[in-house]
Amino acid sequence: MIVEQILSASIILTTPILLAAIGGLINRHAGIVNIALEAKILAGAFVAVIVSSLTGSWLMAVLAAAASGAFIGLLFSLAITRMRADMIVAGLGLNFLVAGLIGFVLSWAFNSSGTLRMPDVQLLPKILPDPVAAVPVVGSMLAGLEPITLFAWLSVLVLPFVLSDTRFGLRLRATGNALRVAHAMGLAPKRMQDISTMIAGAYSGLGGAHLALASIGLFNEGLSAGRGFIALAAFYFGRNRPVPTALVCLLFGFLDATQIRMQTAGLPPKLIGTIPYLMVMLALCWAGWRSSKARARTA
Amino acid sequence: MLREATKALRAAGEAWLERGFALAFPFIAALVVASLVLLVIGKNPLEVFTLMAVEAFGSSSRFAATMSAATPLLFTGVATAICFRAGVFNVGVEGAFIVGGLGAAFIGFALPATLGPMLIPLGFALAVAASTFWLAVPGYLLARYEIEEVVTTLMLNFVALGVTGYLVNGPLLSEKTGNNVTPLIHESAELARLIPPSTLHAGFLLGLAVVAGYGFWVRRTPAGIENAIVGRNRRFARAIGISIPGTIILVMVISGFVSGLGGASHALGQLHRFAEGFSPGYGFTGMAVALLGRNTAFGILFGAILFGALASAGTTVQLFSDIPLDIVNIIEGTVMIFAVVELGRITLFRRRAVS
Repeated sequence: MIVEQILSASIILTTPILLAAIGGLINRHAGIVNIALEAKILAGAFVAVIVSSLTGSWLMAVLAAAASGAFIGLLFSLAITRMRADMIVAGLGLNFLVAGLIGFVLSWAFNSSGTLRMPDVQLLPKILPDPVAAVPVVGSMLAGLEPITLFAWLSVLVLPFVLSDTRFGLRLRATGNALRVAHAMGLAPKRMQDISTMIAGAYSGLGGAHLALASIGLFNEGLSAGRGFIALAAFYFGRNRPVPTALVCLLFGFLDATQIRMQTAGLPPKLIGTIPYLMVMLALCWAGWRSSKARARTA
Repeated sequence: MLREATKALRAAGEAWLERGFALAFPFIAALVVASLVLLVIGKNPLEVFTLMAVEAFGSSSRFAATMSAATPLLFTGVATAICFRAGVFNVGVEGAFIVGGLGAAFIGFALPATLGPMLIPLGFALAVAASTFWLAVPGYLLARYEIEEVVTTLMLNFVALGVTGYLVNGPLLSEKTGNNVTPLIHESAELARLIPPSTLHAGFLLGLAVVAGYGFWVRRTPAGIENAIVGRNRRFARAIGISIPGTIILVMVISGFVSGLGGASHALGQLHRFAEGFSPGYGFTGMAVALLGRNTAFGILFGAILFGALASAGTTVQLFSDIPLDIVNIIEGTVMIFAVVELGRITLFRRRAVS
């Protein structure tokens, strides 16, 4: 029973991180470290709640969330590719700007500080019929499955193929690995980077929509709670490969799901919360140590 | 002869104008964005900005409040700038500031009050030691193993938040006042207040001294100049014999040191304790300050006072004219984005001139 609950909660909590991580991974393959995933998750969640309430359609809400993320991604990308902004500073600035704009709209248009409740918010539908809940162990997870989670995991399965075997994937990676070569081959690397940043934005926006519409049906300023940075941690630790990155996301989702239980077992949740970040430090140290050894050998 | 002289004068004037514009550009862009937002909600931007200016500088008590809000930014601005100008992308000042603040507060309440004013230097010492160590680690990793400092310092911010958050909710929790705060420090550990009703404290003077020291360091010391060369062109720096790893570790250590001073003065001067949410993003605002000030001492002073003014005026403006405080975040974010976009703007002009 407990296993079943934890499994189900882990899957739900993994989805937003996973989506943002997929987006960030694609972006990084094109040579952009996207530090503004957080802003796009937040914007996606905000737009999703409003559109869901106004149209009464979860699908419209999800599409609007993805579109808003892609739009912010495009602006971010244009600042980087066309105006040569530093991607880290611009990304951090964008996080402030978007949080500020959303907070501003919240308190001015909706007269609320921090939380947005709207009438008739349509939540994400469940895909499978109710009786699947009777399946042992995975039943509750299957019953809770909604389209966005399914989409996220399908993306994980398809992505390795897209990156290694399609024209798009090869061009994407050429842009990130050898910008000048890509340029010389006439690949329009800047456009490639713009596209990849828009994809990252759309995926993060979807993540936001999932956060808002999977179960709670409202928006809060603290809803993203650093998930954009955890996603960053995930694809750094997964070294930009889709399947390992997804597994790392699953681990982070699991940690999130078990936090409350760990607290009752006497483990402090705040310290557990630092695990993703420490893992990235370790992964980077390991990679750095190995490459410095390799350099020493060739020198 | 005369013609040449006027020509040279005009060129110099144009250069100054261009430089001035380049300095003001991010701020102007932020004002434009903020004005647009205000226009959309039907407010007159000029009125709002005037109100903000009055609220920030209009009376001696408001002025003191602004300087008080600017104090942490003097430290975080310098701590960021010293790394940025050496080409080291340290975004971990926030974490170092927090760690230092907890260190100073810990000395302030945990040691016996009988130590008296000795608590202040001890508090600063522990803060500086903790913060310096905090940034020396990613500095070493970058210098020795070329591990990206952006990611490590960013991640360390979250680790700092988590660890201090755990400590103030667990082992260091105040028994009297409940949630997420340490006990208050002893009175003898408090920094002197400069203009008593306001919270402006001696840390402000220390901050000014740090900015002045930074100005001297960057322009008048060999190490300060070497750092700038490393920031401009690493290959050239290496060719003339400047140690790149040495520079990286040096600037990270100084950055940690300054962050520690900032965290300690905020803990001992402003809050008199450590609490969760100790820093509402001072490290990140310090980044905006450094960028806006183009890593110069005067620029940092100006930027810190500007953002201090925004913070102190923003709160009261929200009370009196129902303009959400979030306008401050909007301005800060825009300043950061346009501070780095600016470089590209010049190339845009150039391209247009060629084609």
